[in-house]
Amino acid sequence: MKKITLHAALVALLLGGGILASCEKQLELEPEQQIPAETALSDQPSVETAVTGAYSRLFAGGLYGNNLILVPDLLAGSGYLSWQGTFQSFREMATAQITTVNADVLRTWQEGYRLINISNLVLDGVSRITFTNNTRRTEIEGEMQLMRGLMYFELVRLYGQPNISSPQGIPISLNPVTTVAESSVRLPRASVREVYNQIIADMEAAIQKLPEEADAGRFDTYDATALLARVRLQLGEYAAARTLANEVISNSGASLNASVLTAFTTKGSPESLLEVLQNDQNNSNNGNDGLSTFYSGKSVGYQGRADIAVVAAFAGQYEATDLRGRQAAIGEGLIYLGDAVRPNILRSFKWNSQGQNIPVIRLAEMYLIRAEANQRLGTTIGATPLEDVNELRQRAGATPLAQVTLDDVLKERELELAYEGFRIHDYRRTGRNVGTQPSTIPARVLPIPQYEINLGNSLPQNEGYN
Amino acid sequence: MKHKYLIPLSCGVLFAATAAAQTRTVSGRVTDAAGTGLPGVTVLERGTSNGTSTATDGSFTLSVQPGATLVLSSIGFETQNLVVGDRTSVAATLKTAANELGEAVVVGYGTQTKRELTGAVTQLGSKDVENVPTVSFEQAIQGRTPGVQINQGSGKLGAGVQIRVRGSSSISASNQPLYVIDGIPVTSQDLGLGSSEPINPLADLNPNDIENITVLKDAASAAIYGSRGSNGVILVTTKKGRQGTTRVNVGAYFGTSKATRIRKFLNASEYRELFTESINYGLTTPGSILREDYGFTENDTPQDVFSYFAGSDFDANNDTPWNELAFRKGQVMQYDANVSGGDAKTRFYLSASYNDQKGIIIGNRYRRGSIRTNLDHSISEKVKVGINFSLTRSMNDRVADDNAFTNPLQLNAMPPMQSPYNAADPTGFNRSLLYENALVASNRNNNQSGNYRILSNVFLSYEPIKGLILRSEFGGDILNLREEQYYSRFTNDAAGQGYGYSNQVQAVNYTTNNTATWLKTFGTEHTLEALGGFTFQRFDQDQTAVEGQGFPNDNFRRIASAARFTSGSGSSGTGYSFVSLLSRVNYTFRNRYLASVSVRADASSRFGRDNRWGYFPAGSLGWVLSDEAFLQDNAVISLIKLRASYGVTGNAEIGNFSSRTLYAGSQYDTQPGIIPLTTLGNNELTWENTRQANLGLDFGFFNDRITGEVDVYQKNTTDLLLNQQLPLTGGYQLVTRNLGKLNNKGLEVSVNTRNIDKEFKWSTNFNISFNRNKVTDLEGQELVSGSRNLGRVREGEPIGVFWGREYAGVDPENGDALYYLNTSNADGSLNRSTTNLYNSAANVRLGNPNPKFTGGLSNTWSYKGFELNLLTQFTYGNDLYNIAGLYQSANGDYFDNQTVDQLKRWQKAGDITDVPQARLLEGNGTGASSRWIQDGSFFRFKNLTLAYNLPKTLTSAAGMQNVRVYVTGQNLITITNYTGYDPEVNTSGLNGAAVNYLLGHDFYTPPLAKTWLVGINVGF
Repeated sequence: MKKITLHAALVALLLGGGILASCEKQLELEPEQQIPAETALSDQPSVETAVTGAYSRLFAGGLYGNNLILVPDLLAGSGYLSWQGTFQSFREMATAQITTVNADVLRTWQEGYRLINISNLVLDGVSRITFTNNTRRTEIEGEMQLMRGLMYFELVRLYGQPNISSPQGIPISLNPVTTVAESSVRLPRASVREVYNQIIADMEAAIQKLPEEADAGRFDTYDATALLARVRLQLGEYAAARTLANEVISNSGASLNASVLTAFTTKGSPESLLEVLQNDQNNSNNGNDGLSTFYSGKSVGYQGRADIAVVAAFAGQYEATDLRGRQAAIGEGLIYLGDAVRPNILRSFKWNSQGQNIPVIRLAEMYLIRAEANQRLGTTIGATPLEDVNELRQRAGATPLAQVTLDDVLKERELELAYEGFRIHDYRRTGRNVGTQPSTIPARVLPIPQYEINLGNSLPQNEGYN
Repeated sequence: MKHKYLIPLSCGVLFAATAAAQTRTVSGRVTDAAGTGLPGVTVLERGTSNGTSTATDGSFTLSVQPGATLVLSSIGFETQNLVVGDRTSVAATLKTAANELGEAVVVGYGTQTKRELTGAVTQLGSKDVENVPTVSFEQAIQGRTPGVQINQGSGKLGAGVQIRVRGSSSISASNQPLYVIDGIPVTSQDLGLGSSEPINPLADLNPNDIENITVLKDAASAAIYGSRGSNGVILVTTKKGRQGTTRVNVGAYFGTSKATRIRKFLNASEYRELFTESINYGLTTPGSILREDYGFTENDTPQDVFSYFAGSDFDANNDTPWNELAFRKGQVMQYDANVSGGDAKTRFYLSASYNDQKGIIIGNRYRRGSIRTNLDHSISEKVKVGINFSLTRSMNDRVADDNAFTNPLQLNAMPPMQSPYNAADPTGFNRSLLYENALVASNRNNNQSGNYRILSNVFLSYEPIKGLILRSEFGGDILNLREEQYYSRFTNDAAGQGYGYSNQVQAVNYTTNNTATWLKTFGTEHTLEALGGFTFQRFDQDQTAVEGQGFPNDNFRRIASAARFTSGSGSSGTGYSFVSLLSRVNYTFRNRYLASVSVRADASSRFGRDNRWGYFPAGSLGWVLSDEAFLQDNAVISLIKLRASYGVTGNAEIGNFSSRTLYAGSQYDTQPGIIPLTTLGNNELTWENTRQANLGLDFGFFNDRITGEVDVYQKNTTDLLLNQQLPLTGGYQLVTRNLGKLNNKGLEVSVNTRNIDKEFKWSTNFNISFNRNKVTDLEGQELVSGSRNLGRVREGEPIGVFWGREYAGVDPENGDALYYLNTSNADGSLNRSTTNLYNSAANVRLGNPNPKFTGGLSNTWSYKGFELNLLTQFTYGNDLYNIAGLYQSANGDYFDNQTVDQLKRWQKAGDITDVPQARLLEGNGTGASSRWIQDGSFFRFKNLTLAYNLPKTLTSAAGMQNVRVYVTGQNLITITNYTGYDPEVNTSGLNGAAVNYLLGHDFYTPPLAKTWLVGINVGF
């Protein structure tokens, strides 16, 4: 008996001692779902995955998954769409009563700058590693520069002052941030013009560096050209915008779809120059977020919350035969009468399913830019404004016009690009009112998030927000 | 463990272990002062492990060595030594020990007598947690624990409970205490992923299996847990068998419950009155939002507007009490049985229990079945082994988190003219309402979490030489959680297609403790206890989830039938480890001068490579003043003991890999990518340090008729584990750093009195705790909990301070909501003039969610077999913020039904009121502000129990030892000025990252249950 107990005790002590010796090793646990930053951008394959990662941010709810498309429309909703949902952040935007702590104001800012930093990190990474093929290095530079330029363009339009000569643009960060010290730097707001200069520099570089063709959902040179056309139009630089848009129409190989619905129901249709890819596993629509979640209100397919109503007066501008307007059956036109939640109210069909791709640049927009610029400049580069407008009208099933004025072109732009996130930007550059108020009033410019103000970053706050 | 404290007493009796043949049998009876036999008294032959316990009538029989001394001990009585001498029959009367100096108190890695304690420790017994209709034991000890604030947060069954031991000591790391069950740190954090409503893993412990609960509050007692001691440590010891007659206990209770309070909302005609006014404002006012942004004109009617937004007829002839539809009559029931006993070699405790609670909120139910075996065996005089093992199965039918439309409480937002039902709809419910009809979800969805839980440990102890005990224990806490959710295609979350989610989490938490304890008495005056040991803990969590959408119909509820697997699918793993060395020396001189020193060294995988090991020392002194000659035999003073302690504890409850800068996978369509996380790493990251000083006084007067404890403390936390906010323009959001300081200081008083101590007995316990929390340094940062929330962390303010715009009421001229500007005038004074522009008002301090004091008052009356116990609980001086007020008390801003107080809205010039004019969509007074802050103080009749013990004559005739029948009422009366549902509220789910400072917020949070039950316990 004694012996047994002695043995047992010895075993216990030895076991204890053994564990102590091996314990230090037990402290070296490695994460199972992440890798250390030091190895993340260490060679070409890892940089390639980081590039994919950058694209994967595009469908985030703060970016094209929702806010970059929904917010510009909410900010100019009068006579166009109305917010029926419960999200306070969107209701504040729809009624121009935005608070500085608005969750979506914060989210889009954060997501935008995050993607800018990812672009900066990859740009830094490609400069440090060797490539088997330097063409690919240049292409990646182009992709990341366009990514960065695109984000600055979206952010400066929402958070910067509408006046191009205002000193209150947004902060510019072009260096990769990897340390707490770098990350803690407070940045001043650059002027609006400085931000646009950066956007143009990035996009022009991207046009040079990007390939003629890229994989689905990724940037090619015509995406950069088309986006720069959009930038030039926003700045009122019509000749440049026209040239760029004409270049895209002529050379990109994209063509208008036979049906105006196709871009929103079929992935990778010929008309889409750039789509943000989504599928069932990777998308923004989670029931509380995403374009289809908020827009859709139908009983068949993806149902949605039906939080956004198409204003009847706006829908009334379409001819009965125009497929961009309301059709009797759901899925025949781009506007329908909802039959699920909050039924019998008009809804947009553009955002209709959970995993649908999000068209960011459609060729139709290039026709409209060329038409508007030609109309304003009195030129007919590529085609006459009437031809461009009628090209779109005929495709949609609307009666071709006999002649066009600038107002006709702008109206056609509204009808064609409705609910795709163009409205407040277009209204500001054309000086139109939202309801009875100018579209440029401080209440329709997003505030710098209170979070940044509290940290003393990105000062000063925009006018009208304390 | 239990009688380890007896060993110092036995050290002088070295001649005990002689020839075993000369034993003699002693029988006797142990009674209380009134002469009643005391059952269950431990009778131990001093210096040996030979013992028994008394039977129901107090009698015992034991074989002892000649000249033996018996040690008689029982909880609540003073331990007595009884010299047997030549007698074969003895009698003893045990004195009630109100100061319980001889009582054993469980402390970290050991036990001490109450006399020897020099730290601040609260111990509760099994009586406090038995047969209380709560899901987990922490809910049952509310009001009984000075220095420990317990907030159930909501009436949801099985949801997380917020516990603060002496205030919040961290801002970004957890503030919950460390839970140690039978010596093993257990998994107490929420592991669920299916909902932001936390699941409480402590509910897996059957409260009826608990022998005692000890809360270690000061550094002297908690520093032995080192880097995890700052938030206090809660030690739970489960029941053990005792040598003696085998006892069998069976019990059951049954009861019903309802909500403590249901808030009142407008009826249909009141709703129509308010909203006609509100809509008409929008229709008739040029430039109104209704006209500008929604295109209505003065030719439209309130009916048009209502049906546009709310989707139904404004004049419909319904008057639905939506606020009541979230509730039902709940039911509680419990069956339990245990058997305990043993002989000199083997002791056992076996139990089984089943608890079923049907919640007051529709769809909410909790069931738990558990079995436990606690066994210990003496292989020899020197070697003991034992095992504690419990297996629990719990199932929780959960309620959606507060912020979900499917949270039944949100039904109160529906206009009363909308009907809940529609016979023509496939669900039978009306689905054309202002918001989603949560009745559909509660009828057709399921949202379950189920645990299999094994709490187990085995130990071996060996006493190679007298007084030296080597103990090795190994504990495994295995938690298998499965969450199953199915959302019907008829609910919004399922997007018309059906949605399923199945998540399996396996958390394995294993610990080994290896200690050596050496007890030695030098001469008659010096006693030394030295402890040394090391422990290792490893936690591994693996999780696998699959999410699917597109189900053929609601009869198919498992994901095998889903058309598509969606983004919630995946598997992952994480873990952490701790390696620790610990030591402690307790020294007692003349049994009244006490000193203790302890040190623990901890290392954890969670901390940065450059800063891995930390050291946590503590020291304490005690002086039993009343044992000095000048106070001995004093008629008034029976006990005065002074205690002082100082020490360092840590907090390590941060993310497992917060010290690293990492990239995670991120997919673009079908292509795998990587992206940096939004948090930056920090190689220097280490634990936060809390230095705590404690001064305590234990007192007893009038022969211990009045006893109590007073403690004052100061806790200074430095190197706060703070999620420091980074400028977003750099691309990151947070870095966890050791940055900042805060402190807690407080006072705890606990007084016990025996007011009447005759056949009729009346005793009282009163405890009150004051804690003041102040964040002193954040390097200028401010943490904001979110857009609608008011909770913040600011330098110079208590954690969670309400900060925002100050509501100033209504302009009597025009009905505009007003706010105090609170800006600085040129001369530096505060501008108290008002503005109707929300954004122009400055943010100021609006309130404090931390109570000024909390406490409890418990009275027990007994007479013959009757016993009445009333526990009341109070919280004073905290503020509550009803965020739901933005919607439900917003003068008809949107179509949510309004609380009845909104009828007092401004209507015409000259009206004096604090409810602004009803203006649809105009946001007149609807920004987050002090408008919805109220005093959250309350006084609650927490628990009332009337019990009757049947006379022995009756029970023994029926072959039973005792029969107790009782009636219990829980949360019977709540006295408060708070106008919401229940003042004990703390919403979860609004901002998980801010959980530590989002305090006192109410957001459609279900109230607690008021329960009545009847029960019976029978002992054989």
